Amino acid sequence: MNRGIKTILSMTLVAMMGFNLASCGQDQGQNQSQDQSSEQSEQHEEASEGFSPKYSSDTEYKLSVVGTYSNFESLESTIDRFYEYYPNGEITYTFLDDYRNTIGPALAGQEPPDIYVVQPWMYGNPLFTSLFDDAEVLSAPELEINLDCIRPSVKWEMDNGQIVALPVFATSYGMLVNMDIFEKEGLEIPETFDELKVVCEKLKDAGYASPVMGANTSTTPGIGYAFAYPMFAKTVKDDRSVEDDLNNLVPSAGEVMRESLTRLKELVDLGCIDVDKCTAEIEDDYNAVIMRFFEGDVPMMLCSGDVVSGTKKRESKSEAFSAKPFRYDFYVAPSGDEGGYFMDSISILFCVNKNSATLDMTNEFIRFLTSDDELGRMALEKRLITPTKDYSLDEVYASLGDFPEERTVNFRDTEILDTAVKQFRAAAYAVVNGEMTVDEAVASYGTIPTD
Amino acid sequence: MKKRYIVIINILIVGLILFIIVKYANDRATESNQASIASFEKMTTTTEQIVANYLEDEQHLCDIWANYINRSAEAGTPMTVDEAISYIRKAKISPEISGHLIYIDDGSMAGISTTASSTDPSNFSVKYSHINIFENLEISNVDGVVNLTRAYTNPLNGVQSIAFLNNIQVVDGETGNMRDALIIRVVPVSRLEQKLVFLKGEYENVEISLIDWDGDYMIHGKSLKNSNFFEYFKSYNPMSAQEYENVVETIRTDIGSMHIRNSKNEDSVIAYAPLSNLDSWFLVAYIPANELTVSRSIDWMILGIVALGLMILLHFNLVILRNYNRKLAVAAEAANQANEAKSYFLSTMSHDIRTPMNAIIGMNEMILRDSRDNDVLMYSENIRAAGNTLLGIINDILDFSKIEAGKMEIIDVDYNFASLLNDIVNMVQRKADEKQLNFKLEVDKNIPRCLHGDEIRIKQVITNILSNAVKYTREGSVTFSIDSSKCEDNPDYVNLHVSVADTGIGIREEDLDKLFEAFERIEEKKNRNIEGTGLGMAIAQSFLNMMDSKIQVESQYGKGSVFSFDLRQKVVKWEPLGEFDAAFKSFLKEREKYKVSFVAPDARILVVDDNEINLKVFVNLLRQTKMQIDTAESGDACIALFKRNFYDVIFLDHMMPNKDGIETIREMKAYTDTPNSKTPIICLTANAVSGMREMYINAGFDDYLTKPIDTKKLEGMLLTYLSADLIKEVDEKKKKILVVGENIDFLRGVMAKLSDIYEVAVAKSTEQAQGYLKTHEVDLLLVDYQMPKLTDVDEGKIIGAHFEEMNVEEVASLADDYFSKVDDSGKEKA
Repeated sequence: MNRGIKTILSMTLVAMMGFNLASCGQDQGQNQSQDQSSEQSEQHEEASEGFSPKYSSDTEYKLSVVGTYSNFESLESTIDRFYEYYPNGEITYTFLDDYRNTIGPALAGQEPPDIYVVQPWMYGNPLFTSLFDDAEVLSAPELEINLDCIRPSVKWEMDNGQIVALPVFATSYGMLVNMDIFEKEGLEIPETFDELKVVCEKLKDAGYASPVMGANTSTTPGIGYAFAYPMFAKTVKDDRSVEDDLNNLVPSAGEVMRESLTRLKELVDLGCIDVDKCTAEIEDDYNAVIMRFFEGDVPMMLCSGDVVSGTKKRESKSEAFSAKPFRYDFYVAPSGDEGGYFMDSISILFCVNKNSATLDMTNEFIRFLTSDDELGRMALEKRLITPTKDYSLDEVYASLGDFPEERTVNFRDTEILDTAVKQFRAAAYAVVNGEMTVDEAVASYGTIPTD
Repeated sequence: MKKRYIVIINILIVGLILFIIVKYANDRATESNQASIASFEKMTTTTEQIVANYLEDEQHLCDIWANYINRSAEAGTPMTVDEAISYIRKAKISPEISGHLIYIDDGSMAGISTTASSTDPSNFSVKYSHINIFENLEISNVDGVVNLTRAYTNPLNGVQSIAFLNNIQVVDGETGNMRDALIIRVVPVSRLEQKLVFLKGEYENVEISLIDWDGDYMIHGKSLKNSNFFEYFKSYNPMSAQEYENVVETIRTDIGSMHIRNSKNEDSVIAYAPLSNLDSWFLVAYIPANELTVSRSIDWMILGIVALGLMILLHFNLVILRNYNRKLAVAAEAANQANEAKSYFLSTMSHDIRTPMNAIIGMNEMILRDSRDNDVLMYSENIRAAGNTLLGIINDILDFSKIEAGKMEIIDVDYNFASLLNDIVNMVQRKADEKQLNFKLEVDKNIPRCLHGDEIRIKQVITNILSNAVKYTREGSVTFSIDSSKCEDNPDYVNLHVSVADTGIGIREEDLDKLFEAFERIEEKKNRNIEGTGLGMAIAQSFLNMMDSKIQVESQYGKGSVFSFDLRQKVVKWEPLGEFDAAFKSFLKEREKYKVSFVAPDARILVVDDNEINLKVFVNLLRQTKMQIDTAESGDACIALFKRNFYDVIFLDHMMPNKDGIETIREMKAYTDTPNSKTPIICLTANAVSGMREMYINAGFDDYLTKPIDTKKLEGMLLTYLSADLIKEVDEKKKKILVVGENIDFLRGVMAKLSDIYEVAVAKSTEQAQGYLKTHEVDLLLVDYQMPKLTDVDEGKIIGAHFEEMNVEEVASLADDYFSKVDDSGKEKA
């Protein structure tokens, strides 16, 4: 190519570039839109590796999802991704008021939902029978739903071996750890109770008055439940003969609480947690827990996975965290001598209404959703624990990835009824606050006030 | 212009065109977008009206229920709950809509529905204690306005609904007590959504949402994530708290639109309007910006085609241009060669004319210096004038190229106006006489005698005009008029008005424009016998333009023309010119006789020229400086002398046969073993073409002098280059003459004539002369033949003449003749 042509070409490019620059101000939106499209296209390609649509992309449909979350943006993001395959449809998520009382009528009503949320505790309750009766069998092979991606511990098979509910989020109980404090103080995250004692001692010496904090309530995210319940559940798992007595609130069954309550009492007595400080500084078991943790001076905050799910949105709301952000992760509470106990619990599940007017597309959506990637992304956005085997997407929960099976308790390992759980929560609260000794709490099982 | 600049300019033009297209498209798109957004806002307000009207209607129906029930109570026949519900069942038409009646006076928020639970057809009871939809409503007094709840789940059928409220009073069937209750008209949200389906026709992707004061949805647009619009907005449109508050406030209070980013960070537009007659409900219409602003995008295909077309055009033009350039290069080469030929011709012509002119003018200068005969001086002066004019013409021809190149300059000097006129008249008179034309001269006698301006150019302008007048006039007259007037704005200047009128062939009006074009001759065929190049008037006009003037022409075809111009000249001496003839003679008389400016008898110079006459001229012009002048007729002869003798200055001709001046000087410069290593060498040449001076200096000459030689310039140059110790002042001692005759008046006349140059004494008798000679020495005796012979006088110093037969000038010329032939010692010159 001679020099003249090179000159012309280069000058043309320069002119075109200038011309593009001149017009880019006008077309910024469009460019961004194009960028976005290309990004989506990339995502599409990425996702398409695992999902191939069954139906024509111009299929028209309208689906409704109802649930207990007033906000379900992570689901809406998934729906957006589904639209990339089926753009001519609409999937709406609706929060039902008084869900436990309205979901049944909704399923029987004029506008029944296509997908609805269920939770493990609903099973067996006559009020919710229709929820399971009306549920599509997701394990039916013709639906081609890849349920193998679900962790066995949270995969819920009915007695007949059928799977009618898809776990969407898992949850657990443990503690949020301020990783920056541990790094600054040169400490390792404690894995056993002995290590916790040592770490707490060092942290106290370093000026942290209450190395462990938590909401002083009798609810599930409260101090006693988050720290001691997994240990209690493990005790039950190890000897399920007490299960019936526990569920029937037989006082003698209270003995099974002793070990975990004793460990809880030890935590308080050793000064690892300043209960009064927790009471004074943490007003509720959700928002206040997160906002107090974001102050940046709490090494370990006892909480449930549901609390962790609220952290992401509150990062920007916390002035302290915005001013001085830090890295934090979720760990199981190191309550045992060999290590902590991981409660691998199901948070919510999706059921498909088998009477749905658009059953095929509903199942197609569930097929789309049931993958490591989609469930993982939903969990990541919601900051709850993924029900899949792959924990890698959310680094906050990365510590759960290779947790030892022998110290894991899932929802099928025990069948502790809600009444028994409430007794344990009340006992733990009483012990933590010095209202009862461990002996008194054990002796009072079945009659401990729960309100 | 260089090729790359042409390419750059072309590309810039292409870029500019594309830019303009883009800008135009963008401007139109922006206007279109603004119109689209305005239309979208209008749609939003229309929708808001529809929704508001619908909600009002629903509330009105609720109010009718309530009024009917309450009128019964007011009439003293209050309805029971069952009666009220029964009435509502009958009153409501749509099966989708239900009526709920709940007690509010005991806080139970429980009651009866018109429709059964979807799960139990026998169950009509309804309870709102777990559904918090009344927190922002004064449910004890909700009469008079549209009382709308947020969207909530109908506890009986799980359908998302909105409720319209009114207070009623019913009687408790069991206790008989009057109860405060709430009648609720429960309308599925989907029913309201159906009212908005019509919008899809106009905007495919529009999504209508209804939000309450807090941003919670009654109707939720598909693309708007989150259960709260403001939360959604905040999540995807990062901004300060203040900005966020402003946005919320704007949506709550204004009707309008704004761009927002959706959850995919895409540009979107929302239009918003509060629902009329409803407190705290707002309609938000959402649409992706690219649907509203679809015309905003540039048609890249068209633009690409235009760009490609322009680039092809550019490339095509470049190819054509390159071809033209090749041809132009060939033509330019030819033109250059022609120009070089012209330059060579001009140079040769200049040289060849100037060489003999040097001899003519030089020799004439000798005559002017030595002659005392007035007639001879008159003739000689005319030769000088004609020679100078000829030189001027040569210079004009040479300088025409300067005019073309814009390099001509006006050189102002002091000049004698009488001399200028004389030169002109001398040039023209003869030509007029030859054609037997009457040449009339009308000169204002008040014109100042001495002016400041470019004499040569003025003379040339007038001469050209007069020459033309004579050339193109067959019979009749040519009248040359010149007068002056003082400049009013500047007292040091006069305006000269010069006019030349002839009775010649005249010029057609349509030919007047051609008059001043170079090489253009009017009526070429008719005038083909009239000599001329067609340059004269063009040069004249160019010179006058440079002197802020121009030639005016008035002409009548066949009758004659008048050429005139006005010229502003600075006055040096205000002395009036007077009668022209007398003034000219006076000028001649007052003309300063040549006097040598210095003598340098010890100076030795070498002059080299192949023309023997020119060597003589050179030597004679410098004779009175008494310098030792060696001559050489060739470059080789010059080098031989150069190597042998020391010279203070060397004048070297350029164009010589065999070895020209430049070759000679190169050879001279190459010699190191010479006494003349520092001797200045001046080029003496007849080559006077512009640019020559630089050429000679570059060739190694120290200076440059043109032929014909101007004595003043030559002497000035010598004064510059000779060392000061060689220069001596001129001996001003005058020659002594004694004139002896009887006629006293005649003697006085001779004395007056000669005493400017000589020391003159007169004697009216031989005795008186003898007596004078005893006490004085004289160099010459002019004696009338009638006088007795003088004794004891050197016969060689006596010139006898018949005074009665001669006039004063003739006698005076005898003295000049004598002194021109003898040296200072009285001996005849070799």
